[in-house]
Amino acid sequence: MSILHIAILAPFIFAIFIPLFYKYLPRIHTGWFVLVLPTLLFIYLIRMLPTISKGEVITKQFEWVPSLGINFNVYIDGLGLLFALLITGIGALVVLYSIYYLGKKGEALHNFYVYLLMFMGAMLGVVLSGNLMVLYVFWELTSLASALLIGYWYHRKKSRDGALKSMLVTVMGGFAMLAGFSFLYVITGTFNIQEIIANADVVAASSLFIPAMLLILLGAFTKSAQFPFHIWLPDAMEAPTPVSAYLHSATMVKAGIYLVARMSPVFAGAAEWFWLVAGLGIFTLLWGSFNAVRQTDLKSILAYSTISQLGMIMSLLGLGSASAYYGYEDYYVIATYAAIFHLINHSTFKGSLFMVVGIIDHETGTRDIRKLGGLITLMPITFTLSIIGAFSMAGIYPFNGFLSKEMFFTGLLHSLDITQFNMQSLAFLFPVIGWIASVFTFIYSMIIVFKTFTGKYQPEKLDKKPHEAPIGMLVPPIILAALVVVFGFFPGLLEHTIIDPAVHAIHPAALAAGEHFGIHIYPWHGWDAPELWMTIGVIALGVIMYLTLTKWQKIYEFLRLHKKDPINYIYDYLLDGVIRFAKKVTSMQMTGLLRDYLAFMFIFVIAIVLYSVIRYDVFSIDTGNMEGIPFYFWIIAFVFAAATITVPFIQYRVAAIIAVGIVGYLVALFFVIFRAPDLALTQLLVETVTTTLFLLCFYHLPELRKERSKPKFKLTNLIIAIGVGATVTITALSTLVARGHRPFEAISEYHLENSYKLAGGDNVVNVILVDFRGFDTFLEILVLGIASLGLYSLIKFRVKGRDSI
Amino acid sequence: MNNLLLLPVVIPMFIGVILIFFVKNIRVQRAISVIGSLALLIASVYLAFAAYESNSQVLTLELGNWQAPFGIVLVGDMLATLLVALAGIVGLFSLLFAFQSIGEEREKSYFYSFFFFLLTGVNGAFLTGDLFNLFVFFEVMLISSYVLIVHGGTKFQLRESFKYMVINMVASIFFLVGVAYIYAVTGTLNMADLAEKVGVIGQDGMLNVIAIIFLIVFAMKGAFFPLYFWLPNAYAGPPAVVTALFAALLTKVGIYSIFRSFTLIFIHDREFTHTIILILAGLTMIFGVLGALSQFNINRILNFQIISQVGFMALGIGLYSPLAIAASVYYIVHDIIIKAALFFTAGATEKVAGTSDLKKMSGLLKTHPWLGWLFFITAMSFVGIPPLSGFFGKFGLVLGGIEVGTTLAYILVAVVLLVSLLNLLSMMRIFMKAFWGEKNDTEPKITNKQSIGLLRPIIPLVALSIVLGLGSEPAFQYALAIADQILDPSIYIDAVLSGK
Repeated sequence: MSILHIAILAPFIFAIFIPLFYKYLPRIHTGWFVLVLPTLLFIYLIRMLPTISKGEVITKQFEWVPSLGINFNVYIDGLGLLFALLITGIGALVVLYSIYYLGKKGEALHNFYVYLLMFMGAMLGVVLSGNLMVLYVFWELTSLASALLIGYWYHRKKSRDGALKSMLVTVMGGFAMLAGFSFLYVITGTFNIQEIIANADVVAASSLFIPAMLLILLGAFTKSAQFPFHIWLPDAMEAPTPVSAYLHSATMVKAGIYLVARMSPVFAGAAEWFWLVAGLGIFTLLWGSFNAVRQTDLKSILAYSTISQLGMIMSLLGLGSASAYYGYEDYYVIATYAAIFHLINHSTFKGSLFMVVGIIDHETGTRDIRKLGGLITLMPITFTLSIIGAFSMAGIYPFNGFLSKEMFFTGLLHSLDITQFNMQSLAFLFPVIGWIASVFTFIYSMIIVFKTFTGKYQPEKLDKKPHEAPIGMLVPPIILAALVVVFGFFPGLLEHTIIDPAVHAIHPAALAAGEHFGIHIYPWHGWDAPELWMTIGVIALGVIMYLTLTKWQKIYEFLRLHKKDPINYIYDYLLDGVIRFAKKVTSMQMTGLLRDYLAFMFIFVIAIVLYSVIRYDVFSIDTGNMEGIPFYFWIIAFVFAAATITVPFIQYRVAAIIAVGIVGYLVALFFVIFRAPDLALTQLLVETVTTTLFLLCFYHLPELRKERSKPKFKLTNLIIAIGVGATVTITALSTLVARGHRPFEAISEYHLENSYKLAGGDNVVNVILVDFRGFDTFLEILVLGIASLGLYSLIKFRVKGRDSI
Repeated sequence: MNNLLLLPVVIPMFIGVILIFFVKNIRVQRAISVIGSLALLIASVYLAFAAYESNSQVLTLELGNWQAPFGIVLVGDMLATLLVALAGIVGLFSLLFAFQSIGEEREKSYFYSFFFFLLTGVNGAFLTGDLFNLFVFFEVMLISSYVLIVHGGTKFQLRESFKYMVINMVASIFFLVGVAYIYAVTGTLNMADLAEKVGVIGQDGMLNVIAIIFLIVFAMKGAFFPLYFWLPNAYAGPPAVVTALFAALLTKVGIYSIFRSFTLIFIHDREFTHTIILILAGLTMIFGVLGALSQFNINRILNFQIISQVGFMALGIGLYSPLAIAASVYYIVHDIIIKAALFFTAGATEKVAGTSDLKKMSGLLKTHPWLGWLFFITAMSFVGIPPLSGFFGKFGLVLGGIEVGTTLAYILVAVVLLVSLLNLLSMMRIFMKAFWGEKNDTEPKITNKQSIGLLRPIIPLVALSIVLGLGSEPAFQYALAIADQILDPSIYIDAVLSGK
């Protein structure tokens, strides 16, 4: 355990004390205590930046479950540190924001902050652990914390359903990922990520390469809300807005991106990896941005926008993976570079936009753009913030989003030169789809700003009278917006410090330690740069389409997208379907009728026993022994069988008892024949007593009702009955044959020999019962004792209803 | 020779008998029960420790000094003693929960006696090294369970326990048939001796059929598909503490018996027998969880979840690799603890809500946060969310399955993950319906404060699950040591037959 381990675990430890703060210091908003932690962690982490910028890594070991290969290695490189800084930095801002967003009264703040801290710790663990299983452990914890936060207002049905949906989707991905990691372990013998990367060639040569990749990608895609797993994210907007800003735009949903980036050194270069990551990413970009435009809830717009932006980063990582084929030339690495740069930018502008929407919601009581409008004079600061955030998202100069959007275009254009992976014929799709999606991105960015702040002010539709937010709610988005501007003007601040080491972690073969990429971020590429014209095109078409929005919006109805995302139908169908299927399957077999249960069980027994009899061809009868059987023996056996068969057909109790009695007495007769007088005597006694008791009891009972049932039903029963009898007979006869071949003496030989010598008894059966196996007898006496005590208590004691549990 | 091996059988038996004499005095009964249960726990933990210490040696006791295989022998290897120790732990907490929950009437009707008789049977079944003696201990266990399941004698209990009894009788008859057959073929009943002789005769003909018969018998006890019909309703009748005890221990006896017989005796044709175990395990998981999803009553959901978990625990035997067996052993340990906790919380929830019908519950988290969060943690551990104990067992099975690498193993890994996801859905349904949601009109039957007493025995169990998860290294090493021991049957055989 090092300080680093403790830093990662600190949020969990701190979370334990939150309920105490909440309970014993109710006058101070619990958030103020919480705020301390991410701030300290951020300071602690940022001091590592110089080391990391130099291309070094920091590692610390701790053995957790070494027998399963699970060790808590902290591994900090550029990629990990970048995420950790986002987690703690934005975490601190979100906590500050939440203090004003969630009032002291009526909110279960202790729950809220416990979940939030749990998430923070888990997320730090995901990005800083060097062991896949530890990563997995923290990964599932983020899913759990996320679900709890979505369900924070659990009295709302939508919150509960959203929580369940996010949990099912992300945990499903998590389970798949677990299998994928296990595959990697089986291939390489380790869960240590760096060791797996060192063995990437072994992995690539393995037949398990593709399954491992697919399963791990399933984990990444579900977490990062890639199509078609994105459906949980819009529903996750039921969480309080600080949570949406934090988990569902800035950090947790980027865990999938982190994983793809982290695993790139293992999988990059494979065509499947390229197509899945880049292809699904670019499609998600389009799907998200296209669907964002049709939303009327500001948070839903942002949710689809997040899906779309995540798709964009994902596709860039996919395109960047092609650089593995080209010796990691900067020309191809630029896509990866753009991915990391945009990841940072997205966290800043999307975080601030979520906070802006939170402010609007908080101050007006609604997020519906049909009710909002004309807030520009009432909330000028919020308006300014929204302009910065939305324009950056739309890719407008001079904000950071412009730079990364242009770089995205560069990456798309460079992908045209990729000749691997059958790209020749399809490569053009990437720039085309990317450009179209950017147009929609522009449109919804404008919707967020102008539908809210300009147009007609409609106070009659609002629950509250809106005014500017308190300063505490404004500070966090102001900081983020300031970063948007600063990074827009001075992207060089990020280049060597954090982006280079992060990209280096994704393409470790590309650089030696301390070197830098030849990639630079700059706004002006010259008049002949196609990126410039793509951006101008986006703005021009975007403005036209925004202004004519009402004219072409019908297209969503035409495509049946206006009610809900069509993927949701699949989810609903599956969820309902599984319950319906479960009910059907269960009601078919759990009929509540004993006869059905016995029938099912006997069918199974007959089938499986006869199958093994046939499979091993064991059925054999030794006819050699038959000759010695005396005639009277056959008669007794016949009567025995006849009496047994009669029992179920008798409809009078007394007669049935007598038939059963006959069976019992015949058993006694068998004992006599086999020279076991003690047993015969016992059997006679037991039989007499039980028969008498039965007769006594039945004297007091009403007539046995005749049961009428369909003949067909009886036929199946008959078959089953015969089947059981036949099975037992066949196996018994075969056993006798096997007994004849037994190469050993039975232990009874020892008993016969020693019963007098060692136990001093002539009657071997008795000696076995009371001495050789006296323990059995002793326990059987106990059984009888328990049975009688049980009967006594059953007669004496009856509870009414079910008061006690 | 180790006479102490008898303690886990003798202590509960004598306590059970002594309690009969104090049936009207609840306080004395409780005092004796707690002392007895503590003594049992200490003895069994000591034995588990001794079995671990002596490492490759196995503790044995030849009863009446009759040399194995001619008399009856008790055998305490690491697996058996571990399970006995766990039975001791669950026994103690069940007792504490019973004090809070079952009510005076039951206490005055010999409840505690039956409780201890049940433990006698369970412990004996774990410790015996003789096949017929196993049958007898099954009888002790079953007769006690019959009484406990019908204890109170409501109409529902009487109806459902009848089915339970009949089906278990059928199982007992098949057991006897199996014992008769195997005695005929091998001439012995001692398990170690059987293991040796089956090896000599060769497990290709009749012995395979006999193996299947025993598999059927133990699968009935363990509630495997398609032999579990007796369980879901019968377990819904008796008080929560009884169901918890049954859920934690009874099916484990079935699984333990499969463990014993299919890692010691019938190991020579695994292509056949262990494949069947794998298939049954997979189907049991699936049908169990489907049953759970079909229900709307907490108790019944959990009853079906007993079944689904049985499949997980049997998986390791079928896969038959050190890792998979260790994972199964770990899973059994986890399941014993978490099943008890789960059924206790369900019982407490029923007490609070006055019903076990989920449709009539809502918003309990607001009024009963302790109960709600205990349930949540227990449920998450049950589902296998890391770092709780449930995760490591599942993970071991997944990893073990992938290591084995046959098509069937891959399919079962997929089943494990899919069923785990459905387990999550089923647990979240309970949590969302009972604890989340708007507070409904019905007043809670007992307040948050009053419910604390009920929760007290649950907290240590949940804590144990957390400790077992966070500190899974020693636990897993223990499980791996057990796997090593049972994968080398000669250790067991030599220990038992060394006096020959």
